[in-house]
Amino acid sequence: MLTDVLIRVVAVVGILLPVAVATFVGRRRLATLQMEWRSRFRESGPLLVVLLVVLGINRVMRQEGPTISDAIGIQLTWLFYELEGEFVLVFQSVASPELTAYFSAIYVYGYAFLLIFPGIAYFALSNTIYFRQLLAAYSLNYTIGLVFYLVVIALGPRNVMPDLLAGTMVYDASPEYHHFTRQLNSSTNVFPSLHTSLSVTVAIFAYRTREQYPRWTPVAVVIALSVVISTMYLGFHWVIDVVAGIALAAGCVALSMALVDSRNAG
Amino acid sequence: MSGPPSTEPSDGSVDSLESETSRRTMLATTGLAVATSGCLRHVRSAVNRDGLEPLSVTITTLPSDGDRESIRLTRRVRDALEAVGIDASIELLASDEFLRAVLVNHDFDLYVGWYPEATEPAFLYEALHSTYADEPGWQNPFGFTDLAFDDLLEMQRRTDGDERRDAVAETLEAFVTHQPFVPICAPEEYRLVRSDRANDWRRFHPGTPLGYLDLGAGGGEIERLRAVHTDPRPSWNLNPLSVEYRNRGLFTGLLYDPLAVTPAAGTVDDEGDPPLADGGKADARYHPWLAESWEWAENEDGGTLTVELRDDCRFHDGEPVTPADVEFTYRFLVDTTLGGDGVSTPSPRHRGHVAPVVVDEIDADGARIELPIAGGEPAAERALAVPILPEHVWRERSASTDVTGVQVADGTTDAVVLDNVPAIGSGPFEFVDRNEREYVTFQRYDDHFTLRNDVDLPGPTVEEFRVRIDPRSTSAIEIVSNGDADVTTDPLESYVVDETVALAAETEGVELLESPARTFYHVGFNFRKAPFGNPHFRRIVARLLDEAWLVDDVFDGHARPLTVPVTEEWTPDALAWDGDDPAAPFLGSDGEIDDVAARDAFESAGFSYDADGRLRVRR
Repeated sequence: MLTDVLIRVVAVVGILLPVAVATFVGRRRLATLQMEWRSRFRESGPLLVVLLVVLGINRVMRQEGPTISDAIGIQLTWLFYELEGEFVLVFQSVASPELTAYFSAIYVYGYAFLLIFPGIAYFALSNTIYFRQLLAAYSLNYTIGLVFYLVVIALGPRNVMPDLLAGTMVYDASPEYHHFTRQLNSSTNVFPSLHTSLSVTVAIFAYRTREQYPRWTPVAVVIALSVVISTMYLGFHWVIDVVAGIALAAGCVALSMALVDSRNAG
Repeated sequence: MSGPPSTEPSDGSVDSLESETSRRTMLATTGLAVATSGCLRHVRSAVNRDGLEPLSVTITTLPSDGDRESIRLTRRVRDALEAVGIDASIELLASDEFLRAVLVNHDFDLYVGWYPEATEPAFLYEALHSTYADEPGWQNPFGFTDLAFDDLLEMQRRTDGDERRDAVAETLEAFVTHQPFVPICAPEEYRLVRSDRANDWRRFHPGTPLGYLDLGAGGGEIERLRAVHTDPRPSWNLNPLSVEYRNRGLFTGLLYDPLAVTPAAGTVDDEGDPPLADGGKADARYHPWLAESWEWAENEDGGTLTVELRDDCRFHDGEPVTPADVEFTYRFLVDTTLGGDGVSTPSPRHRGHVAPVVVDEIDADGARIELPIAGGEPAAERALAVPILPEHVWRERSASTDVTGVQVADGTTDAVVLDNVPAIGSGPFEFVDRNEREYVTFQRYDDHFTLRNDVDLPGPTVEEFRVRIDPRSTSAIEIVSNGDADVTTDPLESYVVDETVALAAETEGVELLESPARTFYHVGFNFRKAPFGNPHFRRIVARLLDEAWLVDDVFDGHARPLTVPVTEEWTPDALAWDGDDPAAPFLGSDGEIDDVAARDAFESAGFSYDADGRLRVRR
C-alpha cells in the first residue's frame, strides 16, 4: 500500500512540477539555469548538505524519538483540548465529501508540491540568496520542530474525538494515506504543525519574491492557506498547533535571513 | 496619664515613677501575651485543618489510533464524572506505554481498557487477590485488598463442579458489592476472512492459536497464510512474559506449546466445544497438547497432577523438550529471578496460572512430571495452559536487566523485558523474520508432534504464515477484500462492522466471521489513591454508566452489556442483565444522568459539594 501511495505522489508531483516550472519560471530563466547551474550548485552546496543531514536526523529520530519522549516529554494533549474545547469541530459544520477530497489531496499532494517547487524556482534565479535562505529556513523548521517533538507529547483531535470528526477522517476513507504519513511523522508529534510552518514559510518567501515571480505569489498563498486549513479540517491538528506553526515559520524565515546574507559562500 | 491609682506610696521620686511605668508595661505585656497566645492557638487550629479539595481525576486510556472504542468509552465516562462535579481529564498513551503505566507502575487514577482473556472465572483470582496488589502485571493492578473477598476467591479455586459454581456465584455477589472495577461490556469479535482460500475458519476461535491450525484441511488450497494485524507489537517483541507487548498471546501461542490447550468454538452459534479427536474427555475444557495425558489425584492439600510428557518433542533449535524444561518453566514463571536477588519477580502474565503449583515440590524424572497443586482440579488444569520454555535459553535470563546509565527497578529481570526475537519454542510455527512495524513471518515447524501420523490433533497445514502489520481496520478490510491477505487476525473495530457486513455480502470469496467475546471492557480504579478505596464512591460511579446505552453508542450494538465480568454461562440469574444492571442500576435513563439523583447519592454516601457544585474529597 505504501508503494501505491508513493507512486501516486511521485506521479502527481511529477506532473505538477514541470507545468508549474513552465508557467512561472519561464524559458529565459531556464536557459540561464542550464549555463549557470554548476556555480549556483557550488554556492548553495553547503546549505543543501545541511538540509539533507537534518532530514536524515529526522528520519532516525522517528524511530528513536518515542523512547526519548518517554523520558523527557510532557503530555499536553489534554491541555490543548481543555484550552481549545472543540473549536476544531467548526469545520465539521461545513464538511462535505467534495471538501474532504479537496483537503485530503491538498494535505498530501499539494503540500509535497508546495515544498518542492520553490526549491526549483529559486534555484532558477541568478542570485542564489533566496534558494539558500529557503534551504536554511527548511532546515531550521525541521530542527526546531524536532526539539518540540521530543519535548512535547501531544496527540491531535482525531485521536481524542474520532467519532466527532467522522465526516472528515481521511484515514477512514483513504487508509492508504496513513501508510504514507506514518513514514514521515508520528501521531504524537502534533505540536507544532510542521505542515503549517513549512507552508507558511513558502508563502512568506513567495511574498518576498513577488517581483521575480509575481504569478507564483497568489498561487503559493492559496495553496499554503489550504494546507493550513486542511490540517484542522482533517482533524490532525489543534488550532494551537497551527498558531505555533505560523510563529515557527516567521521565526525561521527571520533567522534564515539573518544567517544567510549576501555572502557568496553559503 | 490615667490609670489605676497607684497603691505605692507616691514619694514623687524618679524611681517610683519608673517602677510604676514598668509595672504597667508588665501588666500590659502580660495581657497582650495572654491575648496573643489565645489568638495564635485559634489561628493554628484554623489553619492546620486540611480542607476538602475539589476532586480531579485522570482517566488513562488508548488514543483512537490504538483502539477507537477505548477513547470513545473514556469520553463517555468522563462526561458522566463531569456531570456529578468531578473534574476529569484524559491521558492518552500508546499500547505499550498504557500497559506499563497501569500494570507495572500503577501510575493511574482510573483507566478504561480490556482484560486480556476472561473466558473462565478463574482469572478473578489473580485479578483481585490482595497478595498480588503490589506485583506488576495483570494480577490485581487495582490494588484491591479485602480479606473476606480473598476467602471467596480461594474457595472457588479449591473446589470443583457444582460446589465451584456456588463459590463463583458468591464471589460475584461480593464483586457487585465492592465494584473493584466496573465491567462495561463484552465486545463480539468480527474478522474478515477469505472463504475461497480456506473454508474451515469457523472450526476454532480465530482469536486463539488453534484457529490457525488445520486450515484448509477441510478443503481449500492454502499454502501461504497471509494475515493482516493492526497491532504492531508482535513485530517488536515476541516474549510471552512481556506484559506490555502482549494482548492475548496469539502468536506466542503458535511459537510455544503449552501442556494443554483450551479449544474454543469459532462462532457464536456453535456453543459446544469442538471436539478434538484424540484423548481427553469430550466435554473437557482442557485437552492434552504437549502433554500426552495427565492424571489428577486429590489429597488434603489439594492434589497432584501427574503429567506424561509426549515423547521426542523438540524445540525449534533442535534441542529436546524434557521434563526438566517443564519443571524449569513452572519455577521460572513463579519467580524469574529463580531465587536470586531477594526480590521475587513472577511472570506478569501467568501469575494466576502457576500460583497453585507448589514449585518446590515438583518431581520431574523419566517422562513423568508430578506437579503438586494447592487447589482443585480446575485450578490444576489451568496450570497446564502456560507456554513451555526451553531452559537452555531462559535460565540465563533470570539475571537482572542492565541498561547502561539507566536506573532499573529492583527485580526487573531480562526475562520480562527482552524482545525474545528470534523466539525459540516448540510450537507448530517457528519464527523466520520480521521488520518492525511492517511484518512478522513464521513458517511451519516440520518436526512438530501434530504432524506425526499417529497424532490426531490440528497441526500447521500452511507452510508460511506471514503477518502484515497495518494500523487501520479500514485498510485491513481493503487488503483482504482485494485478495492480498486471507484473514484479519485482530478483531475489527466496531465502527467498521456494519459496512463490512455489506461488503462481505457483495464481494465474492470473503466472509465476515463473528466469534464469541473473549474479553470485557472495564473502568479500573486505583485503590491506592483516594477516594477510589471508598466502596461508596465506586458503587456510585458504577451507577453513572448506562452499559446498554454505551453498547449502542460506542459499539453500534456489537457487544453484550455486563454486570459481572464473566460469560453468560457463569453469570448467576440474580445478576443477569435485564435491561439494566440489577446490582448498579443506572442513575438516569437512556444514557442521560439524573444530576440531582446522582449528587444526592454522593451526599448520602458522605461526600460533599462545594459552592460551585464540585465534589470534594480529602486527598
